[in-house]
Amino acid sequence: MSKTLLKIENLKASIEGKEILKGINLEIKEGEVHAIMGPNGSGKSTLASVLAGRELFEVTDGKIQFLGKELLGMPPEERSREGLFLAFQYPVEIPGVSIVNFMKAAVSQHREHKGLKPLTAGEFLKMMQEKKELVEMEAKLNNRAVNEGFSGGEKKKNEVFQMAMLEPKLSILDETDSGLDIDALRIVASGVNKLKNSENSFLVITHYQRLLDYIVPDVVHVLYNGKIVKTGGKELALELEEKGYDWIKKEND
Amino acid sequence: MALRNQISKEEFLSVFQTLPLNALAEKEWKNKTDKNFEILDFPNKKDESWRHTSINRLLQHRYGLGKSMPLDKKTVDSFTIPGMDAYRLVFINGYFNAAFSNEIDNDNKLIIKNIAQVKKEKPDLFNQFYENTSIASENFFTNLNTAYATNGNYISIPKGMVLDKPIHIINFSDGQDSKTISQYRNIIIAGENSQVKIVNSFHSLTVNFTLTNVATEIIVNENAHLNFNIFQGEGDDAFQINHTKVLQHRNSYFSSHTITLCGAIVRNDLQVKHIGEGCETKLNGLYLPSREQHFDNHTYVHHAKPHGTSNQVYKGIIDNKASAVFLGRVMVDRGAQKTQASQTNRNVLLTPYAKINSKPQLEIYTDDVACSHGSTTGQIDKEALFYLQSRGIDRRHAELLLLTAFLADVIENIEVEPLKLFVNLLISRRLQGEKDNSLCSMDEVCHGCDPVD
Ligand SMILES: Nc1ncnc2c1ncn2[C@@H]1O[C@H](COP(=O)(O)OP(=O)(O)OP(=O)(O)O)[C@@H](O)[C@H]1O
Ligand SMILES: [Mg+2]
Repeated sequence: MSKTLLKIENLKASIEGKEILKGINLEIKEGEVHAIMGPNGSGKSTLASVLAGRELFEVTDGKIQFLGKELLGMPPEERSREGLFLAFQYPVEIPGVSIVNFMKAAVSQHREHKGLKPLTAGEFLKMMQEKKELVEMEAKLNNRAVNEGFSGGEKKKNEVFQMAMLEPKLSILDETDSGLDIDALRIVASGVNKLKNSENSFLVITHYQRLLDYIVPDVVHVLYNGKIVKTGGKELALELEEKGYDWIKKEND
Repeated sequence: MALRNQISKEEFLSVFQTLPLNALAEKEWKNKTDKNFEILDFPNKKDESWRHTSINRLLQHRYGLGKSMPLDKKTVDSFTIPGMDAYRLVFINGYFNAAFSNEIDNDNKLIIKNIAQVKKEKPDLFNQFYENTSIASENFFTNLNTAYATNGNYISIPKGMVLDKPIHIINFSDGQDSKTISQYRNIIIAGENSQVKIVNSFHSLTVNFTLTNVATEIIVNENAHLNFNIFQGEGDDAFQINHTKVLQHRNSYFSSHTITLCGAIVRNDLQVKHIGEGCETKLNGLYLPSREQHFDNHTYVHHAKPHGTSNQVYKGIIDNKASAVFLGRVMVDRGAQKTQASQTNRNVLLTPYAKINSKPQLEIYTDDVACSHGSTTGQIDKEALFYLQSRGIDRRHAELLLLTAFLADVIENIEVEPLKLFVNLLISRRLQGEKDNSLCSMDEVCHGCDPVD
């Protein structure tokens, strides 16, 4: 049987005293693709943020194990170095920090964590080049500031590019498909598929079945009002696309 | 708030009864400054332009007159800017140090010389610029400077000359024996069509309460280019008042960088007036006060003629309980049509105790202008910080990336390449929390490079 990568038990989290996650249980094994769907405001991004270590949300109960280690209490940078990656729903713009310098810092701290030698400048640039081709990102973006003035599509490509650079064990894609046209979607999805292997896993947050045609999930969860209210196979995604969420809401309100 | 041991104006001035014989001012002239002192008081909070800067801390001490002290090569070398080949003039406590300076006096054409010597050799030249300028008695400190400055620089670049390397003026203060006042008077004249870059840096050699009072007058003649850099890295107990007045003639270019990294209270007044058409002015500033330091920049650009442009960018990172002031005044006279003036002041406060007072002041008396100004103050962007951390970059390094990015454009604009590299290095070390002797040479007492928390 394959190893458990992520195990979430009874996770509760709130912001400003308001409970958003109300007892989440979720287990992801190596090599699996899980999808999380659910209506707006149900807590999908909150779950992603809590996993990535955003302090804004207060975890009030529960446990998260990642590769056997306690995730809660670990600073975000350590989670990243341990192999967790979040492709943000809304990547922030960082004026003045170039993608090259940003990735140089990230990659070198990841390698140091793993006890690997730093890359030479040449090796690093070669790696940048390869990973950029993966998402058909334009070379000229190198010296541009992170996400500054990027189109919606460019921002999402940039997220997948960073994912490729850091080779995470668990990638959380928070609506990486939203707002993309069909060509961009294909590029992003095929980039993800090229990174997928039997050892890494994906948690794909989406509203649309379309992405799941490319990145086929093993398990689909429905998150509603801070809880996972339904879990099924990939056919659940089709059902949701067809019927919407009203029946889910009815069952649970 | 009047503090307990605060000294009075009379006490403060009493040390000057024993006026050193080598003061620049003539006896007759001293009568005028004495009269001025009857009217001029210490700047205080009632004075609009000193509202946010209190000199009470400075007035806790009785100061003596500076004394000349020997310098050794190692010390001087450690304050030169790496890779900057320059004409160098070195001063300590208000006195010229000939051993480490290379003066030039080329048939009255190119003059780079200590001003006391110029006074002796060419009194007419000296007098023309000393007594008759408006800087002389503008406020208490300029009047003090006019009355009792001991030395400074006289720099004159002849018509058409492009000076082959920058001029570096180094001012040391050393309050080893007593709390010391050092006063410098500089006169800088760029002749028609000439070009010159100047760096004036300030450092302390020992920790004590010192006051450095500088008055600089700059004349940029027609079509001349002058770049002026003030680099302030005095100790944690060092006060500095620095007053610079610039007159720009037709089609001239003046740019400045005022870089304030260390000092107790630093007040910079930088005033530029366009007295000819088509002048261009760029004023840049970087200030990084920490602990309880207080850095104040007052700028004033006076557009008195048409077709002038001025562009100001001042940025600060304020740490601990430090505070800063930026007041940028731009005046556009009725006759100054087609003026373009812009002003930006941006600040990052690293702690809840850090303070900034930022105020633009535009006075525009003509319609035909394009003026803009903006001021922002904020903390480190938490979202950006999390984004960087979420990619495996530790918090300290992430903050460093963001703060470096924040200052990048101002550093990039520094026109003296070695100074740019040096400032870049010092600031990145500073932000990384490394102690650096080259900032102020006193790592024990003046933690010039305290970590960013
Ligand atoms: N920074 C915040 N401050 C206050 N409330 C927040 C914040 N972020 C999220 N919330 C609230 O938490 C709830 C869950 O939001 P979340 O973004 O996790 O939903 P979501 O499932 O990702 O929605 P969507 O599908 O629109 O992306 C919402 O009610 C939202 O208003
Ligand atoms: Mg969301």
